Amino acid sequence: MNTAKSAKRRQNKAERIARVGKLARGKFVSVDKVPEVLRRIIEPGDILCLEGDNQKQADFLANQLATLDKKDLRDIHLVMSCITLPAHIELFKKGMIKQVDFCYAGPQGTAIADLVKAKKFPVGAIHTYNEIYARYYIDLTPRVALIAAAQADRKGNLFLAANTEETPAIVEPTAFSDGIVFAQVNEIVDKLPRIDIPADQVDLVVQAPYPMHLQALFTRDPAAITDVQVLMAMVALRGIYEKYEVQSLNHGVGFNTAAIELLLPTYGERLGLKGKICKYWMVNPLPTLIPAIESGWVESVFAVGGEVGMERYTAARSDVFFTGRDGSFHSNRAMGQLAGHYAIDMFIGASLQIDINGNSSTVSKNRITGFGGAPNMGCQPTGRRHPTKAWLKAGAEANPGPGSPPGRKLVVQMVETFQAGRVPTFVEELDATDPGIRKALHGVTPVMIYGDDVTHVVTEEGIANLAACRSVAERQAAIRAVAGYTPVGLKRKKRETEDLRARGIVQLPEDVGVRPSEASRSLLATQDIKGLVRWSNGLYDPPSQFVDW
Amino acid sequence: MEKFTKSFPSKPLGAKTAKPWALAGVVGSGNLEVLMERGSKPADAMECHVETSIPGYKASWLAALADFAHHYPAGGTKVTINDQGAPPVLVNLRLRQAYDHLTKGDK
Repeated sequence: MNTAKSAKRRQNKAERIARVGKLARGKFVSVDKVPEVLRRIIEPGDILCLEGDNQKQADFLANQLATLDKKDLRDIHLVMSCITLPAHIELFKKGMIKQVDFCYAGPQGTAIADLVKAKKFPVGAIHTYNEIYARYYIDLTPRVALIAAAQADRKGNLFLAANTEETPAIVEPTAFSDGIVFAQVNEIVDKLPRIDIPADQVDLVVQAPYPMHLQALFTRDPAAITDVQVLMAMVALRGIYEKYEVQSLNHGVGFNTAAIELLLPTYGERLGLKGKICKYWMVNPLPTLIPAIESGWVESVFAVGGEVGMERYTAARSDVFFTGRDGSFHSNRAMGQLAGHYAIDMFIGASLQIDINGNSSTVSKNRITGFGGAPNMGCQPTGRRHPTKAWLKAGAEANPGPGSPPGRKLVVQMVETFQAGRVPTFVEELDATDPGIRKALHGVTPVMIYGDDVTHVVTEEGIANLAACRSVAERQAAIRAVAGYTPVGLKRKKRETEDLRARGIVQLPEDVGVRPSEASRSLLATQDIKGLVRWSNGLYDPPSQFVDW
Repeated sequence: MEKFTKSFPSKPLGAKTAKPWALAGVVGSGNLEVLMERGSKPADAMECHVETSIPGYKASWLAALADFAHHYPAGGTKVTINDQGAPPVLVNLRLRQAYDHLTKGDK
């Protein structure tokens, strides 16, 4: 019997499209026909990709999918970046999903923890973004991809606007393996501002009755930044940015790093750091970066996604941001993650829990959030070969052996010792080691950033330079030294801390030249959202939930 | 409400300070006020008076104050703290700020 493969997939695709028949006019499907079209193009056992990352969602198509039942759709292998919509959870509750492979589940983290407990969450693995995009080309190639675009023209070319994000990373492997690409669009127009996805790679299009869901994920209101966060920002600026001359970097989404951005034009300027640090960014268009951009600190910003309200500002600052020939903002999640992995001096971000070995996690027993992109950036890219000043300096401190790279990426965890409600950030053991969670993940503990990759931990107590530690015991002592008055911190020994401080492995604010008395919100370039609008010369349009004037 | 007083060993404060007393923070929800005054005795102890709206955290307070007295020469000062539920991370910052104001002035 001849079982060799030839071109059966192509034939199968033609059959599926034929089944759609008159439900579509050419590529175009009307809103009321979408559930039936989905039923006809998806087969049992399919790998189905739903577009949706932490910002942009093909929410109309997801909602239509959730109206179907197990008799319509079963044994689906769902692959997607982010499980964020109630409709996604519905697919599991209806028993349509045979397996799921995904990256992140922010708002549905509690629902997923419940599904895990009920054994209704057949997860293959939780990935990082680039990891799952890579698998779309290897063993998780979608048969059908449901995606979202801003506009389509009459041929089915797509314009993705500011939120290109992961669309190309989904469409390419699907389209080039005889899969079906079905796009929801906000509108259909005669002429697109620019073509991001050629019609050739798009099989079906529906004009959704409502615009795709976009989450303003990276907007941090300066009004919520505290004096303690200002202190930590000052310590990080002097003890890390200035020390290593960090030129290229990624910032997480928290208030700690927002404080750093807002200190650049004030405190940073006074320290004479302009032009020496923070020139090249792999980060979304953060509104809190506006004052630094307007003050001439920033050479370039490449982004994995857009940010609601930053459209006019980014278009007007095309020397800094990547823009299409139509002038509007461009992002690309896969390429941004790649840039964040290989081409930056430093990743700095926050976490909910850090254990005594420096492992961090955002998982708690009642909430499974997954990874997103942080581990792609918050890790040592040992495939890297190009040197920079910061990379070599951090590498020299780590005292590399003859079989190690000479440099190190700075991977910095910046956390307050306590979370809201007096919950300690530092723990002896991560909640992520919970046996139920580990069992669901086939033995993998969902660690966000591994302690071995972390070079520094910054808290309001000071800096612990983990890269300079020479043993596991020393690293644990350094972490306890900056863990404040958490149970982990209270177990530190005075003599050990003093020894580490004498060797510069633990540094208090004073040791890096920071005066705590200066740590005040008044040092920020602006104290509120309105100030950001002013800094942007009226080009920033904050989302309504941030506007109180 | 919880009140306690305790002295912690600390190296004597320098002979000269910018001012005789210094204040950092305000008594407001989630915040605290630290008043630091020189001239208390003995010269090798930091005398602390704490009044906090949230009981049950005495061990953390004592640890934070002991560390502060250990790290900074604050002997011969009297520290009065009025706390209204400040997060633990703020306690250390306000102590350092009061000390900074006392020794180096407000600028």
